Amino acid sequence: MSIARLGRLLRTGAFTVALSIGLCCALSGKALAAAPASDGGYIGEKKCIECHGQEATHFTETLHAKVFRQNPRTQQEARVCEACHGPGAAHAKDTKNKDLLIGYTKGWGTPVEKQTAQCLGCHQGGNRMHWPGSEHAKNKLSCSDCHNPMEKISGNALLTRHTINETCMNCHQQQRAEFRKRSHMPLPEGKMSCVDCHNPHGSITKPLLKADSINNVCYTCHAEKRGPFIWEHAPVRENCANCHLPHGSNQDKLLASPRPYLCSQCHNPAVGHPGQFFRADQSAAAQLGGGTPSQRVIGRACQNCHSQIHGSNHPSGARFQR
Amino acid sequence: MKNLGSFAAQRDRLSASRARRINGLNLLTIAVAGAAAQMSSNIASADSGNGVDTVLGNAMNPAGFSTFREKDPDGLGESPDSRSPTGLRTREPFLVKEPNTNANGWLYNANAEVGVIGGNATTARAAKLIEYRDLDDGLLLNTFGLQLAKPADAAFFDVNGGGVGRKDQFYSLSFGHYNDWKVKAFYNETPHVFTTTYRSLWSGVGSDTQTLNGLPAGGGASAAAAQTAIRNTLATTPYGELSLVRKKGGARFDLNLPDNWKFFASYSNERRQGARPFGTVFGGGGGGGNIETAESIDYTTHDLLAGLQFADSLQSFNLQLAASLFRNNIDTLTIENPLFVTINGAVSTSGNITRARYDLYPDNNFINLKSEYARRLPDFYDGRFTAAVSLAKLSQNDNLIAPSVNDLSASGATIGGAPIAAGQWNTTNSLSQQTANAEIDTRLVDLGLRLTPLNDLDVQGKLRYYETQNKTVYWACNPLTGQWGRIINDGSGSALLNTNYTATGCNVAATQALGIVPVAGNINIRNMPFEYKQFNYTLGADYRLNRTNSFNAAWERESYDRKHRERDNTWEDKLKLGYINRGFEEGSLRLSFEHGRRRGSEYRADPYDEFYSASLGPLPTANGTNVASWVHNIEQFRKFDLADRDQNILNGRLNYALAEGWDAGVSAQFKDINYPSSAYGRNSKQRQNSLNFDLTWTPNEQMSVFAYYSFQQARMKQASIWPNACVIGSTYYFFSDGTINTTGVVPVGTSLQGSTAVTAGNFLSVCGTAGAFSPLYPTSRMWDVTQDDRNNVLGLGLNYNFGKVRLDMNYTFSQGRTKIHYGYNPTALGMTALQTGLAGDGWSDMTFSVNTLESNLMIPIDKQMNVRLMHRYEVGKVSDWHYDGVAANPMPTNNTAYLDAGPQRYRATLFGAMLMIDL
Repeated sequence: MSIARLGRLLRTGAFTVALSIGLCCALSGKALAAAPASDGGYIGEKKCIECHGQEATHFTETLHAKVFRQNPRTQQEARVCEACHGPGAAHAKDTKNKDLLIGYTKGWGTPVEKQTAQCLGCHQGGNRMHWPGSEHAKNKLSCSDCHNPMEKISGNALLTRHTINETCMNCHQQQRAEFRKRSHMPLPEGKMSCVDCHNPHGSITKPLLKADSINNVCYTCHAEKRGPFIWEHAPVRENCANCHLPHGSNQDKLLASPRPYLCSQCHNPAVGHPGQFFRADQSAAAQLGGGTPSQRVIGRACQNCHSQIHGSNHPSGARFQR
Repeated sequence: MKNLGSFAAQRDRLSASRARRINGLNLLTIAVAGAAAQMSSNIASADSGNGVDTVLGNAMNPAGFSTFREKDPDGLGESPDSRSPTGLRTREPFLVKEPNTNANGWLYNANAEVGVIGGNATTARAAKLIEYRDLDDGLLLNTFGLQLAKPADAAFFDVNGGGVGRKDQFYSLSFGHYNDWKVKAFYNETPHVFTTTYRSLWSGVGSDTQTLNGLPAGGGASAAAAQTAIRNTLATTPYGELSLVRKKGGARFDLNLPDNWKFFASYSNERRQGARPFGTVFGGGGGGGNIETAESIDYTTHDLLAGLQFADSLQSFNLQLAASLFRNNIDTLTIENPLFVTINGAVSTSGNITRARYDLYPDNNFINLKSEYARRLPDFYDGRFTAAVSLAKLSQNDNLIAPSVNDLSASGATIGGAPIAAGQWNTTNSLSQQTANAEIDTRLVDLGLRLTPLNDLDVQGKLRYYETQNKTVYWACNPLTGQWGRIINDGSGSALLNTNYTATGCNVAATQALGIVPVAGNINIRNMPFEYKQFNYTLGADYRLNRTNSFNAAWERESYDRKHRERDNTWEDKLKLGYINRGFEEGSLRLSFEHGRRRGSEYRADPYDEFYSASLGPLPTANGTNVASWVHNIEQFRKFDLADRDQNILNGRLNYALAEGWDAGVSAQFKDINYPSSAYGRNSKQRQNSLNFDLTWTPNEQMSVFAYYSFQQARMKQASIWPNACVIGSTYYFFSDGTINTTGVVPVGTSLQGSTAVTAGNFLSVCGTAGAFSPLYPTSRMWDVTQDDRNNVLGLGLNYNFGKVRLDMNYTFSQGRTKIHYGYNPTALGMTALQTGLAGDGWSDMTFSVNTLESNLMIPIDKQMNVRLMHRYEVGKVSDWHYDGVAANPMPTNNTAYLDAGPQRYRATLFGAMLMIDL
């Protein structure tokens, strides 16, 4: 990279940062008033526990309980139960009236928008900046469809299931099945989670991806394929998902089709072999019966020769063979 | 109500300190003009916005901790059968264990699960069985954990881990001060076994040099001799494993700053070491020789991330800087060649081709600066505005290597018609540049505005722009000889222009000015810097019919401007409709439909001329010139990522409580994709359907049963044409059986259907366009393939409490089948009767199935100890026609060798006895 080019990049970056910070600082003094801090019908945790001791027992294990009880930074946090459920005085008087308290269950019936707004009251911004209008928000999921702040059943993030994957697959059964296919990412083996690639809280990259493009998500773990290379392979550079099915495949290496047919879906030059018809008399087994074996079929098929298919830095690597 | 006393006591102990903090907080709050800090519920290991490493676990503990803890019989409280807002049953909580306390006010818990596992997983060693897990016999510290907390100081310290000493081990350490700061460190290993049936001929697999074990480099006296020697060696070479292990460690620091600001920074380091199946080819076009080798892997990746976040009730702001530095500790890989290879247009003797050398993945750098901003607009239709800008750079500047590792100057060899002098092709002086100097910059801008003009209506507009700029330039010309093009596969082949150009010394304009017709049109003379710009415009609305029913609709246009592809522009209009009903008490229904229509600018089958030798001179005109290399592809061929496409997707999801204790779920997706303009390539209709059922039965607190089943079906079609020939001055005659000749002699039993004369003026059109009488792409030589995929996945589970003893059983069955069916005209393709008979109408089915039954019996010893007896039985079968006959016939020709015998069937049983200790 030339000095001039580096300079341009730094200037552009600095401008972006300055603009953003400036915008933020300029406007920060105009924040809306914080949530009302008056007693407003708050009765305190002790009163809640008089009836909800069992809930409190489990809540004690959660991160919320530890934060609220041990080091609250706002008055709302210090209200513990009422930080999330709202003021409890009216509820204490009329425990059956579901309009008097914010509940997070199907049966209680608090509108999802109200539930979510209550959570976002503290959890807005950050990784949830793009929640409003996101796929999950549009489908009227509540935070508490995935999170249960009342019990510690997962290792972290107060999920409704033991793991991120279990939580996601509660609804995404199709992906659960795909992760059981012949080739799959190591999710069932506990080495990856859905959230390694997706941000369920919203993203500016579809489908809820954690990076600016599909490829940049993949490069997070497959950094060697990032390149750039002298010799690039067009569909590889643009979108890994052109060839790979990220959740699982019946083929080797998460491929969408078996080789060589996957490759011949794009390649048929007038010279050379990609347009040839590859068939069952070309296997190693068929050769024993008089067939004509082809290295474009057996084993790794096309990648027997084009082994650097993700890109090559070799001066003779135009066809990804070195 | 349990534990209330201890909880109340703890709460009382804390109340005084909490009161002090609140008072202090009030002062602080006043001092900062009412700004309120936000607590962080995220922790380092589950950052949903950045990076990976969101889970630490392994196959024995996917959750990262033991999930076999005792459940609380009293449930979660007043609503033991409570459901999430969507209607999903709340999981039964674990029994809360009262922490231990020491004199200094620290509370602590400790737990461990230790035991022994054994069975035949070690001896079975099928790659699929151990692909991502370590099931070796022996002692197992399955999980351990230590949690320390000092509530009076809001301090905590946690250590967790599992699989100690194994290839899938993991550890985490975290400590900090609740709501103020936190440090989390982790270490995680992930094995990846590619094959356990690899027969290596080399020493040094995993290093930068692989040396033959006794076989002669270059293949010896003849191809037949090389074949015999390799076969003999393979017969006595045991199967081995090609695998790698990812070892990753890192740390992250999170800090809550005053005034609603947060800061985080992290660093991780990953080392990947091992080897994976690879291929090595010699000669031009791959016909010279081909042997399966192993790619040595030794990667280090450093990832750094730092971010600043701000959020208040009005606006939020994120700024983050990320860097990823990939380092390949093996720069080049040199492999001795045991084959006697066939030379293609290059050096004179096979014996010179003793080695192959690869320039493995280069070191690369990635840096990304991203800023996001969101602001509520409460006075403007209760609106919300979002903006994001992201700049990134991908770069690498590795030293390039010489085109050949072999000294090609021996034996008076010539290449591209020129004699080879010493050092002309095996030094980097033969390159147009010494380093790659490759760079791609990306830019992203995303703007969104969401308004609520009516109480029940949200409208949203989004604009997204993403671009990649590829700044890489590389010219394939040897300044020592002036030859354009490249030698192939370490000198065993060549794709070079002839010596007529050498005088211009790699000067493009001067070369073009010569006006000489190149020997071929498809010789690469420079790299192709692919890049694109992507625009997304979205308008959407969300209408709440009532408290529990809503509709949403959106229109989106996605357009791409691409450089150096068959289409400059494509655009796709998507219409999306959705309906959500959460109104019925027993469940929720979600339906959505999406229609997409992609079209584009003119499709050019050959957009690559400027990167090929075709651009260096005029088109050929002389009779007898084979001009096929000036034709890139069939005019009517469409690459699927650029092709016109119509797509419909219907999604449905219903979860429903059938009766007390019964929960059911159904989800389905039907995807229909049509390529209306693709005669060749991926064509016709493509289907992807999925249907899923879930059922859970919880009759009482002692028992729960679940079952799920998924069925998936997919179909994909493609077609192409086996090219024939295209020579100027020739006339091609087409006969009724599909055969073609240039003599015009009618084969017996056929009749002449037509003929085409190829001239200098018409070859691009008559040869480039598929048709009944196209010399190069005659439709009689067309073939098509239909791929049918079917998958079934069944899961069953039982959890039963026999008093204190608990049984947990899970059964999973996964089956996949891929049928490849094809159609072709064997006569037109010149296939013999034997070949046709063996080829049939498709491949044998590619199948995969795994049956897994796992049982766990938990037997309590006392309050602190349980015994877990574990049994796992797994049967796996993989049948893949790529590997048909490879084990018995690894060298089906005298210059091809396949050393990976492919996937194996396996049957494995694993027993375990664990002691679970809670302190």
